[in-house]
Amino acid sequence: MKKQILIGLFSLLFLQSVFAAGTHYEMRVDGLACPFCAYGIEKKLKAVEGTSDISVDLNKGLVKVNTVEGKELTEEQMKKLFNDAGFTYRSMKKTPL
Amino acid sequence: MNHKPEHSGIKFSVTGLLMVVLLWSTTGNTAPITFNTALPVAQGEFLVREQLIVNQSGDDPDVANRDRTATAAVTALGYGISRKWTVFGILPYRDIDLDLEMAGQKIHRNNRGLGDASVFMRYTAYQDNKPGQTFRIAPFAGVKAPTGKDNTRDNLGTLPPPAQLGTGSWDYFAGVVTTWQTLRYQVDAQVSYRINNEANDFEAGDIARLDSSLQYRLWRTAAKGGIPDYLFGVLEANLIHQEKNRVNGNSNPNTNGTRLFLGPGIQYVTKRWIAETAIQVPVMQNLNGTALENKYIVRGGVRFNF
Repeated sequence: MKKQILIGLFSLLFLQSVFAAGTHYEMRVDGLACPFCAYGIEKKLKAVEGTSDISVDLNKGLVKVNTVEGKELTEEQMKKLFNDAGFTYRSMKKTPL
Repeated sequence: MNHKPEHSGIKFSVTGLLMVVLLWSTTGNTAPITFNTALPVAQGEFLVREQLIVNQSGDDPDVANRDRTATAAVTALGYGISRKWTVFGILPYRDIDLDLEMAGQKIHRNNRGLGDASVFMRYTAYQDNKPGQTFRIAPFAGVKAPTGKDNTRDNLGTLPPPAQLGTGSWDYFAGVVTTWQTLRYQVDAQVSYRINNEANDFEAGDIARLDSSLQYRLWRTAAKGGIPDYLFGVLEANLIHQEKNRVNGNSNPNTNGTRLFLGPGIQYVTKRWIAETAIQVPVMQNLNGTALENKYIVRGGVRFNF
């Protein structure tokens, strides 16, 4: 019985890694202080291929976005994107979906 | 009845003031209602602002008992050329009513149509972004082109300059605007100068102007995807000094002066649009001679991100 449970758990882990799809990014951005300004950021991120579920948390100064599998957002790319929108990119945290 | 238009507008002090009122109703992000902001327009993005302005003048100290209502629907478009440079274009549609008395007769004059267009550039010279706040300084400079008709006539003859849609002159302006924005409030301040030039033997006085605005968040909705709507209470002050007008090269002693307006207002801000209204009340008018006083200026408008 123990053996079957262990096999089941390993199978679940294996399946999760096989079907992991994309990445969730949480980026810290400075200078964000009003709802109207956030739209420029959303629009620019939407224009990046493979992005979805974009949201901006004004209070925490966080911009969140998901990417499809195989699509990576780089620090350089985000620095330029936020800079062009008038804000300052600080850091990013990546989590597999 | 064929009254010669003796009150040929040169006594009115509101021509240049109205033009500057129209000009500074520009675009921007969450921003003052009566002037511009230093906040960014994202590179490659557009903002549009529509504002309706009713400028009422009266309480004439002169025997002509002048009363003037100037209404303008002002369209302003902003475009982010780069992260530092933004270009703005402004075009007013104007409707001007002028009432006065001459030789015991009441006279009404009206004019409506497109006014003078303005274009100016703003450069973000300094910005300091921190979590939930930003501080910016942005100089700007531009030109007002004589696109509005400046020689309209009615059955009494050529309308005086305050009733014309355009000034006929190329005028230049420059200034600096600074903004400090946080999640809770925003402070903007602007200093500017406008050089008015001569056309049709008339030259409106140059204008020096100091503006300030405080926008304080009174209320917010629940966040939708992290972005709530904000309701701001707004209080603005506009100190405007205009030199005397000149006619045929001679200074007119009954024109212009210094005015201080206080403007309470409200602003509802969402991710895609802003709706706002304010009333500017003159709290001090130190005018020359019999220059016409401002009674109030009412503004209502919307801004869109697209």
